[in-house]
Amino acid sequence: MNSQQQTMDDLIRTGYQHGFVTDIEADTAPPGLSEEVIRMISAKKGEPEWLLEWRLAAYAHWLTLEEPDWAQVRHPPIDFQSISYYSAPKKKGDGPKSLDEVDPQLLDAYNKLGIPLEEQKALAGVAVDAVFDSVSVATTFRKNLADAGVLFCSMSEAVREYPELVRQHLGSVVPYKDNYFACLNAAVFTDGTFVYIPKDVRCPMELSTYFRINEANTGQFERTLIVAEASSHVSYLEGCTAPMRDENQLHAAVVELVAMEDARIKYSTVQNWYPGDEQGKGGIYNFVTKRGDCRGDRSHISWTQVETGSAITWKYPSCILRGDDSIGEFYSVAVTRGMQQADTGTKMIHLGRNTRSTIVSKGISAGQGQNSYRGLVRMAQRAENARNHTQCDSLLIGDRCGAHTFPYIEVRNPTAKVEHEATTSKISEDQLFYCRQRGMSEENAVSMIVNGFCKEVFKELPMEFAVEAQKLLNLTLEGAVG
Amino acid sequence: MSTLMEQRGWFSALASSSEPERSGPEPDWLRNTRDLARSAINELPVPNRKLEAWRYTSIEGLLQQQFTPAVEQGHSWTHEELEPWLGPATDVYRLVFVNGQCIPRLATGLELPTGVALGSLRAALGTDPKLLATWLNHTGAHEEHLFSALNTALIHDGLLLHIAAGVQLDRPVEVVYLNLEQDQALLNQPRNLIVLEPGASATLVERFIGADEAVYFHNQVTELVLQEDAELRHYRMQEESRTAWHLSSLYLSQDARSRYQGTTLSFGGRWARTEYQTRFQHEAAHCDLNGLYTVGKGQLTDFHLDIRHSVPNCTSRERFKGILFGKGRAVFDGRILVEKQAQKSDAQLRNDNLMLVRDAEVDTKPQLEIHADDVQCSHGTTVGQLDPQQVFYLRSRGIDTDSARRMLCLGFAGEVIDTIEIPALREQAMERLTATIRTATETLE
Repeated sequence: MNSQQQTMDDLIRTGYQHGFVTDIEADTAPPGLSEEVIRMISAKKGEPEWLLEWRLAAYAHWLTLEEPDWAQVRHPPIDFQSISYYSAPKKKGDGPKSLDEVDPQLLDAYNKLGIPLEEQKALAGVAVDAVFDSVSVATTFRKNLADAGVLFCSMSEAVREYPELVRQHLGSVVPYKDNYFACLNAAVFTDGTFVYIPKDVRCPMELSTYFRINEANTGQFERTLIVAEASSHVSYLEGCTAPMRDENQLHAAVVELVAMEDARIKYSTVQNWYPGDEQGKGGIYNFVTKRGDCRGDRSHISWTQVETGSAITWKYPSCILRGDDSIGEFYSVAVTRGMQQADTGTKMIHLGRNTRSTIVSKGISAGQGQNSYRGLVRMAQRAENARNHTQCDSLLIGDRCGAHTFPYIEVRNPTAKVEHEATTSKISEDQLFYCRQRGMSEENAVSMIVNGFCKEVFKELPMEFAVEAQKLLNLTLEGAVG
Repeated sequence: MSTLMEQRGWFSALASSSEPERSGPEPDWLRNTRDLARSAINELPVPNRKLEAWRYTSIEGLLQQQFTPAVEQGHSWTHEELEPWLGPATDVYRLVFVNGQCIPRLATGLELPTGVALGSLRAALGTDPKLLATWLNHTGAHEEHLFSALNTALIHDGLLLHIAAGVQLDRPVEVVYLNLEQDQALLNQPRNLIVLEPGASATLVERFIGADEAVYFHNQVTELVLQEDAELRHYRMQEESRTAWHLSSLYLSQDARSRYQGTTLSFGGRWARTEYQTRFQHEAAHCDLNGLYTVGKGQLTDFHLDIRHSVPNCTSRERFKGILFGKGRAVFDGRILVEKQAQKSDAQLRNDNLMLVRDAEVDTKPQLEIHADDVQCSHGTTVGQLDPQQVFYLRSRGIDTDSARRMLCLGFAGEVIDTIEIPALREQAMERLTATIRTATETLE
C-alpha cells in the first residue's frame, strides 16, 4: 500500500498539462475600470450608441453594488482596478479571411490544446468559433451554417451585422441589474458568441466554442447569446482550458439562452481552467451567470456541465420555465481537488403550467477541495402541475475535503410536486475491495466507481464531449485515493 | 417599521423597560449576564430578510406591536377557572405558568423523588443559586441570537428541572404555559433550564396554550444539558392563540452517549417559530427530532434546525412534516454541519409537506455541510398535494371525499404523532390534529 501511496501522491502532484503561454503581441488596455475604459472598448469595437449607453448604465449601477459574500467560497478580495479590461490579438492587415491567414502562433497554441483548427473541416460536425482572449480570430463552417440560415458568429460581429437581433435579445434574460458579476460583464464585455437559429431549423451540426484565456492580468468577460426561434433545435458545446499563470485571473461571463415555442437548446460545458497550484496559488476565478429563458410553450433547455478546473467556480446555470409545458434540465459533475472551491448549482423558476425540471448534480471532492451545491426550485402560483425532481450526490475522497448542499425550495402552488434528495458518502471499502480482488488496480477501481457515479450526467453530453469529460475526470482524480 | 435603527430600538426599549430585579436582590453573576445580553442587543444583527436565517420569515408585523414585559400579577385565577385549559393531570408532575410566571399553587403531584429539582427558576434563585450560577447560560444562548439576548436580558422566571446522577424519573413532567388575555399585549419570556446529570433519565411534556384572541409574544429560551448517558424524551405541543407570536429557542448540549428524543407539534400562533440548536460535546450521542406543523389561514410556521456534529460517532435523525390547509406559509430550514474531526457521523434529515390549498407557500431549505469523509448523511424534501390516485382508491371503496382526504392526512401526519410514547398525550395530539384536518378538509372545494 505504501508504494502505491507514493505513486498516487506523485500523481496528485501531476502538473496542469495544458499550461503554457503563447507569446503574441496584444493590444491591451491599461489596468483599471472607468467610464473612459468602457468608452474605449466600445469605440474599439465600433459599437452603436445604444450599446455604449447600455454599458454605461450597467457601469453606473455596478458602482452601487457590493460584491456578494453568500457563496461558500473564500478568496482574497478582487482588485477590479488591477485588471485590464481589454486585450485583443494584434491583427495584421484587416484580419484573417480564412484559416491560412490566422496567426501561425495562435494555431500552434490550439494544436497544443488538441484542437486541430485546420482539420476542422475534416472533423465534420463541429464548427469552432475560437475565442483567443477577447476577439474571435477564426470562425469556420460559417457557410454551411449560413446555408441552413443559422447565424453563428462573434458577438462583435453580430452587433455590427445583426444589430436589431442583438438589441432585441441582449440583456433580456440576464439584465445588467441581475447581479454583481453580470453587471460588471454588461459594462465591459469584450466579445463572445452569438447564435441565431431561425424558425423550424434544426442546426445541422454541433456548435462549439473553445475559450482560452491567454493574456496575464486580463479578465475575460465573454457574453454569449443563443436565440432559438420556434421549433428550432441547437446543441452548443463550450470547452475551456487555460495556460498556467501565477496571478488570479477573473472570469465573469454571461450566457443568455432564449427558446421560443417548441424550440430546444442543449448547452454543454467542459470547464478545465487552471485550478491553481498545490497551495492554491494562482488559478482562475470563475464567476459566471448562465440563464435560459423557456419563453415559448413546450420549449426545452438543457444544461450539462463538467467542471473540473478553476480555483473558484461560482456558477448557477438556470432556467426560467415561462412557457406552458416547457422543460428545464440541469446535469452537473463538479470536481474539486487541491485547494479548489466550487459553489455551483441551478435555479429552476417554474412559471408556466405543466412545466417540468430535472436536476442531477454530482459533486466530487478530493484533497482539500470544497464543493457546494446551491440550487433554487421555485413553483410560482400559476405553475399548475409543475414537477421537479432533484438529486444531489456528493462523493468525498480524503478526510480534508468538504461537500455541502444548500437547496432552496419555494412552492406556491398545491398541484406542484417537488422532490429533493441528497446523499453524501465516500467510496465504500466494499466496492473497492470487490474490484481489487478481481485484479483491478486501486486506481482503476476508483476511476471506474467514480465514472459510474457520474454516468447519469455524462450520458447527457454529446459523444465527443463525453469521451473528453471522462478522460478529464480520470486525469483530475488520478491518485486522489490512497 | 422602517429603519434598522427603529427596529433595534424596539429590542433595546424592551430590554431596558422593566426592572426584573424588583423581587429582591440578585447575585452579581446574574446582573452580569443581563448586562452582557443588553450590550449584545446593541450589536447583534437585527433579523431581516437579507439574513439567511430570516430569509423567509419577516418580523415586521411583530415589530409593529407594542409589548409590555409581563410582571408579577395578582394571580387571582383559581384552578377551577383554568381547568378547561389545563385538563386533568393524571400520572404527571405538573407545573403551570401563566403569562410567563410560574404559579406554584396550580402545580400538582409535586411529591418528587430525591435528587430531582423541579420548579420555578425564580424560586431557585433563592434556594439553590449555585446550581443556576453553574448552568444558566451554559450553552451561550444570548450570544448569537437577538431574541435570545432579549430573553436573557430580562431573565425572570422559567422552568428549572435538574435530575441528579442516575435518577430515573418515574412519571413525566408536564409544564403548561397558559397565555391569557390582558389589557395590554404582553411579552412572556420563560427561561428554562433543564440539566440531566450522568445516567439520569426523564420525560418532559411542554404545552403552550393561548386564550382565543389573546395578543402576546411568547419568547422562550430553553437550555438543555444532557450529561453522559442521560436520556430525555421531550414532547412539545404548541397551541397558542391564532393572534399570538411564538418563538421557542432550544439550545441542546449533549455529552457522551446521551440520548435526546424530541417531538414538537406546532398548531397555533399567527407567527410561530421553533429553533433547535444541537451541539454534540462528546462521542456516541444521539439526537432524534420529530416535528409536525399545520398551517391555516394567515399563519406562519417556521422551524429552524442547526445540528452540529463536531465530534465523531454521533447520530442524528430529523423528520419534519407539514400540512398546509389555508393561505399560510411554512418555512423549514434544517442544517446539518459535520466538522472535520467528526468521522462516522450519521445524520438524516427529512422534510415533507402536504399542500391542500392554493395561495399557501412552503419554503424549505434542508442543508448539509460536510467536512469529513467517513460519514453517512442524507436529506430529502418533498412538497406536493394529496395523491389523486390514493383519494380515488378510497372513493372507489365507498369512502366519501372528505373522509378520504382526512384519512390520508392523518396517515401522513401519524408517523410523527406515533413517536409520542405517552398514550394520553398521543391521543390528545391525534384529536387536535383530527379537528384541524376536519375544518381543513371541509373548507376545501
